[in-house]
Amino acid sequence: QDKPVALKLSSWVPAQHALNPALQAWADDIKKQSNGTITSTLFPSEQLGKAFDHYDMARDGIADFSYVNPGYQPGRFPIFAATSLPFMISNAKAGSAAVDAWYRQYAPKEMKDVHFCFAFVHDPGALHSTKKVVMPADLKGMKVRPATSTIGQMVTTLGGTNVQSSAPEARDMLERGVAQAITFPWGSLNLFGIDKVVKYHMDEPLYVTPFVWVMNKDKYESMSAAQKKVIDSHCTSEWAEKVGSAWADFEIAGRAKIAAEPGHDVYKLTPAQLQAWRAAVEPVEVQWADGVKKAGGDPKQALDSLKATLAKYKSAL
Amino acid sequence: MAQTDLIALIGFLSLFALMLLRVPVGMAMGLVGITGYSMIAGVGPALKLVGLTSMRTVTDYTFGVIPMFMLMGALVSVSGVSRELFKAANSMIGHLRGGLGVATVLACGGFAAICGSSVATAATFSGVAYPEMRRFGYPQSFSTGVIAAGGTLGAMLPPSTVLAVYAILTQQDIGKLFMAGVIPGLFAMLLYVITIGIIVRVKPDWLPRGEAKPWSERLADLRHVWAPILLFIFVIGGLYGGFFTPTEAGGVGASGAFILGVLRGKLDRAKIKEALLSATRTAAAVFTVLIGALMFGYFLTITQTPQKLTEFLTSLGVGPYGVLALIMIMYIVLGCLMDAMAMIILTVPIIFPVVTHLGFDPIWFGVIIVMTVELGLIHPPVGMNVFVIKSVIPDVTFTTIFRGVLPFVATDIFRLVILIAFPIIALWLPGKMG
Amino acid sequence: MQKNNFADRFINTIEWLAAIFVGVVALNIFVNVLLRKLFSTSIPDNYDFGRMLLGILIFWGIAATSYRGGHITVDLIWSSVGKQGKRWIDVFATVVLLFVVTVQTAMLFDKVRLTYVDHVLTYDMGIPTWPFYAVAWIGDVCAVILIAIRTWRLVFKPEALHDEHFEQKAME
Ligand code: NA
Ligand code: NA
Repeated sequence: QDKPVALKLSSWVPAQHALNPALQAWADDIKKQSNGTITSTLFPSEQLGKAFDHYDMARDGIADFSYVNPGYQPGRFPIFAATSLPFMISNAKAGSAAVDAWYRQYAPKEMKDVHFCFAFVHDPGALHSTKKVVMPADLKGMKVRPATSTIGQMVTTLGGTNVQSSAPEARDMLERGVAQAITFPWGSLNLFGIDKVVKYHMDEPLYVTPFVWVMNKDKYESMSAAQKKVIDSHCTSEWAEKVGSAWADFEIAGRAKIAAEPGHDVYKLTPAQLQAWRAAVEPVEVQWADGVKKAGGDPKQALDSLKATLAKYKSAL
Repeated sequence: MAQTDLIALIGFLSLFALMLLRVPVGMAMGLVGITGYSMIAGVGPALKLVGLTSMRTVTDYTFGVIPMFMLMGALVSVSGVSRELFKAANSMIGHLRGGLGVATVLACGGFAAICGSSVATAATFSGVAYPEMRRFGYPQSFSTGVIAAGGTLGAMLPPSTVLAVYAILTQQDIGKLFMAGVIPGLFAMLLYVITIGIIVRVKPDWLPRGEAKPWSERLADLRHVWAPILLFIFVIGGLYGGFFTPTEAGGVGASGAFILGVLRGKLDRAKIKEALLSATRTAAAVFTVLIGALMFGYFLTITQTPQKLTEFLTSLGVGPYGVLALIMIMYIVLGCLMDAMAMIILTVPIIFPVVTHLGFDPIWFGVIIVMTVELGLIHPPVGMNVFVIKSVIPDVTFTTIFRGVLPFVATDIFRLVILIAFPIIALWLPGKMG
Repeated sequence: MQKNNFADRFINTIEWLAAIFVGVVALNIFVNVLLRKLFSTSIPDNYDFGRMLLGILIFWGIAATSYRGGHITVDLIWSSVGKQGKRWIDVFATVVLLFVVTVQTAMLFDKVRLTYVDHVLTYDMGIPTWPFYAVAWIGDVCAVILIAIRTWRLVFKPEALHDEHFEQKAME
């Protein structure tokens, strides 16, 4: 008989966020598969610690599992940052499975302080603006609230200025003209009321924010072989896709809603225009590659592998 | 009783013991929080939590709002704005019966509109308004009482460091909380003026007339208040209109107070140094409590104390307003022990889930709780504003101050009842912010 | 005014440095708002600089505050006992303070070390963040030294202490 294990799961998003029920379902399945020996309590809304600290919290045993945005600490996980390069991933569901499958070869080294469970991404965010942006040159001189530091580099590369703000402040920033464009996922655009202040939406999957779900190493080691097996069977690409999907559905619904609202211009790019964007953002990829090289990694191998895996999972752009 | 409940209970008892032995509130919370945490989650994670929480708290950009508004208040204080405000109010109405008292209330309100601290407001006017009231024969008790009460406006009218901390702890919009304090703050001023009016009616020779000045002199005195008014409109208007984030409003306000002070020749090197030092010291004291409270909060989270407290209070069957009354009584008792900031930081993480569970509006509750806590600062047997006044005016006894403050305490209780009955008084203005 | 010995000069310097950092934080915000409103641009990394300077000012400020006895305390019992009782309460409270701040300083060293090891960079310019954390940490080291001095003075030469908030905050 395995001894009972109680896990503390930490997620920093608010209690009502679509991610939490998905994590809860994941935990419930673990409980069932382990015959009730592994129970979990989910602590949302930064109850156990701040969003920025979640990787360290899993490392230090403050949480047993934690939901991490590695992009909060630029420079710390250089290879993983490949997934946040612009125009890379086309959808969150298969994309989550692909990112997870790809990152498994690097996680033991790059995230060696924790037991890596899985990686997933949110539904691709787009560029939303107060004046129409079609070509990369249109971004020149614009003030943009970027989603990640990689997108921030893209903005700078194209001659724009970054404006940092929290998500709740973003609407005000756009309304007052402090920012003229924002990169944001579709459903959250509604959630924060930003659709009231931006009218133009470039309907291309510009970027994703990648996340990982990681475990405290000692906790994993303290479990019985049977319990470890249950955890292992819940740290898979399939589960990455399942957990990512609930959130993705919410974001996808947001796109249809905005397209249906009067006064919104939701436009696609022609293949030629998209090609122009890809060419224009190349320096961002170079910058990313430098970061990986400095950390002793092989950027070409990592990026080729990522692209191949995305193609395999039909989630490449 | 489960083992975690026992640990939580022992935690609370040790916390109070340490605080009563004058261990700084923040340090006591940190020590008990981490010790309790280590008993439940292990020593390793508990120690790591110390480094993580300390560094994250002091480098959190949103917390920057606290030292910035403190610096603005300190710069305004050393530039002599309180004296100008009082002089202007006094020359307009000081010649009326009770006029000096009303002038004190108005000047406190004006000062409160740029200074975020109730204790600082009380301290300032003990030096500025008290000698003047005494010169015209106002009794000691009334003079100190009106300053103690007027001081509480500092935390009610925006900017307010206590409201800012409440907003951060409960993840509410600082700007909205500031706006929610405006009408209740003005209402408080009105009630204080009415209270003085009643005192004048009941005891006509208690509050004699001050000096009557010619209109030319009155207008000359009034002219000086442009600087604080400009600063208020700039900072609070900018915040209301969405031109700045709260931290920016603080930083820009502090810079504005500095520029105005230098341009008007009111700031020299020594005064600038004094203001910078005072802002540093108070900010450090508040952050110490914040760090400790976060650690104590994590301890409470893993013992699930807030959930259990919510279950217990809702099971009492006294209804939401009954629970609210219990909470307010607890605050008034705590008001005998500690100052406003410490009380808010210690209790809000525990009480807030209860209050939202009962369906009360979080912004409205912020205003109610700050008012209750401020009441604790002036009601007998002990209160921070009263201590401060006594430190500036050593020859007055505590009994005298409390006697003077009693009519205003009655007013404050009346105001609390009105605000609980009509939440719209607090919520109307922030609702307009969109 | 007594003669300034080493400890006094040390504490004055620390306080001054902390005070200057408050001014720098305000200036950073002010300049950035001006740049944004007037020129639609911003200081690169002003957000990261702002929050790390805040950390430095707070830890340095805590050093000074701990020495001056300027922390927020509950004075109910302290203010109602005699001189000797006050002194013993103060000694107890300061020893606890010393313990807590020493543990905090040790764990913060760990945090600074890991920030270095983990190669955490600023958002815009990619500058290593650990040196800022290290400067903040030095403030906490100063706090330990100053509280140790305070404890020693409380026990052996109480007349050498000059608490500034002390007299103001709690009378009797
Ligand atoms: Na105020
Ligand atoms: Na009291």
